[in-house]
Amino acid sequence: MRKLFFILLLSFCAPLTYAEVTVVLNSGDGTISLVDRHTYQPIKHFYVGKEPHHLMSLPDNSALIVADAVSNDLVFLNPTTGEIEKRIARISDPYQIGFSPDKKWFVANSLRLDRVDIYRATDFSLVARIPLSSMPSHLAFNQDSSMVFITLQGSHQLAAIDLKTQKVAWIIPVGNTPAGIIMTPDNQHLLIGVMGDNGINVVDWRQARIIKHIATGVGAHNFMPLGDQHHILISNRGADTISLIDTQTLSLTHTFPVPGGPDDMEVSEDSKELWVTCRWLREVRVINLTNDQVTHVIPVGRSPHGLFFISHAGRQ
Amino acid sequence: MNDLLTPLQAFLFEHGVEPLFQWLGLQAYVENAYDAVYLVLLGLIEVILLIAIFRPLEAWRPVEEWASRRAVGLDVLYTLLHRLGFIPLVLFFLLWPITYSLDRTLRLHGFMPLSLEDIWPELYNHIWLSFIIYLLIIDFMGYWIHRFQHRLEWWWALHGLHHSQRQMSYWTDDRNHLLDDLLTAAIFSVFALVMGVPPSQLVIPMMLTRMVQSLAHSNINIRFGSLGERLLVSPYFHRLHHGIGIGSESGELSCNFAILFPIWDILFGTAKFNEPLQATGIRDQLSGRSYGEGFWVQQWLGLKRLGRALQGLKA
Repeated sequence: MRKLFFILLLSFCAPLTYAEVTVVLNSGDGTISLVDRHTYQPIKHFYVGKEPHHLMSLPDNSALIVADAVSNDLVFLNPTTGEIEKRIARISDPYQIGFSPDKKWFVANSLRLDRVDIYRATDFSLVARIPLSSMPSHLAFNQDSSMVFITLQGSHQLAAIDLKTQKVAWIIPVGNTPAGIIMTPDNQHLLIGVMGDNGINVVDWRQARIIKHIATGVGAHNFMPLGDQHHILISNRGADTISLIDTQTLSLTHTFPVPGGPDDMEVSEDSKELWVTCRWLREVRVINLTNDQVTHVIPVGRSPHGLFFISHAGRQ
Repeated sequence: MNDLLTPLQAFLFEHGVEPLFQWLGLQAYVENAYDAVYLVLLGLIEVILLIAIFRPLEAWRPVEEWASRRAVGLDVLYTLLHRLGFIPLVLFFLLWPITYSLDRTLRLHGFMPLSLEDIWPELYNHIWLSFIIYLLIIDFMGYWIHRFQHRLEWWWALHGLHHSQRQMSYWTDDRNHLLDDLLTAAIFSVFALVMGVPPSQLVIPMMLTRMVQSLAHSNINIRFGSLGERLLVSPYFHRLHHGIGIGSESGELSCNFAILFPIWDILFGTAKFNEPLQATGIRDQLSGRSYGEGFWVQQWLGLKRLGRALQGLKA
């Protein structure tokens, strides 16, 4: 009887753990919502900092980094449980962040202060601070990590920065209000979500020129690979749709509706399930990609933006 | 409340504001516009609550009986312009280029402001404590700004508009000269650069603090008791500040400058709790001086008084 009592006591005292969580950043109220990845039930909601916008895992997946733009810090979470592990302070205004494929550089865009900061990825020491014209938004690397490409949302441009010299290599006009950017799996083209031009501008980055426009929908915004090294999803935030792009033919495959301003996405490792933050409705929607039907609607916080789960599809 | 607000906010944004921004080619700012819709809706709720709660109380237990509420009408306009976001928007666009340039330049040269959370990271784990500390600091600054609004002749020339209301009601809080608003906002913007901003999650507490300021101006005859009067600014405490001959005049006569917490007046020797109430207004109004009866006239007369003060004359 006494043994049973202690087992019961321990079971109540032990922290609740979940096999896997989905981490959702709520930019509007500075919180994180944790959702059980498999039951789709909200687990926990807690304060993380001022204006967390984007997140990404460390190259070895040992931690998930949340960039708090207004708090000027990076918060490290356990990528499986979502618990806060540590905080690196005095990282100036990090908005969108990314590690170069060779794991040498950590790049942080300061959208509000028109600047790109390059840090050494091993210790987060600042290497270069590069002023740019207006609203550096999203970023992408080429495969040999020699260049990082930055969309400039306010000045309607694309900037390429040489990571060896940490100097701007070139800047070209790229369409009205560019946002998301991703490299195609063959390392040939950059796809740019151009919100004001309602689609994707395809850039040959070696030639520094636009070679094609793919119409997708109003407010074409952010990308996520399907994980098959062939297709990439783009959220059309104004049209309330998501489009699937064939990266080999550089053409639109099909489009399906997702209400409430679809923004950031995450795809399951079997490429069958899509999670997406619906920015204007305080919701995350889960979509079955085999039939494009919404299977779950999960309430989260104000202005949900970045989201992540560790059992995601490959990033190409 | 969010369950009620979110669908409305999303509807207004997706069917009105977002298409307008797209049409204007301002897609880069749609996220700011989405936040602005939220703040406007909160302001609207605040105004509805003000009317629903304070208007019946003013009718039930007025400090002053008025034959007509006509003089209150202009204060309603000031309140709507403020709480529905028009004046804050104008102030933002005026101040943003300056704060942006300052912040950007400092950071490009390696200087980063030290926020409260940098000094005490534990605040990240106690959001309410963080909110209360920010509130106390902001209120402390508000107290000193208010003292200087009375002490400096040129600033009183502007701030006098706020005190010129002789039928003070819960609508009077936002009756300010636009230049006075701009100065105050500029000071708080610099503060935000240096010390950071309070967590944005606690929207309802922030709304409550604004409603307390409206209550402090109300024509409601209530007191908070001996202790309560010393903890939170009451209508009686603030009416003393607005009283002719007690608190309104420039210089040493003024008292009760606190915005939310009377502790600052107690600490700095400017608190009065038990004086008999006087009519609100400014002494020179008794000898016929006009501070204007229309919005633009009031703004213009404020500038004229400022001009006199800057020439070393009495405003």
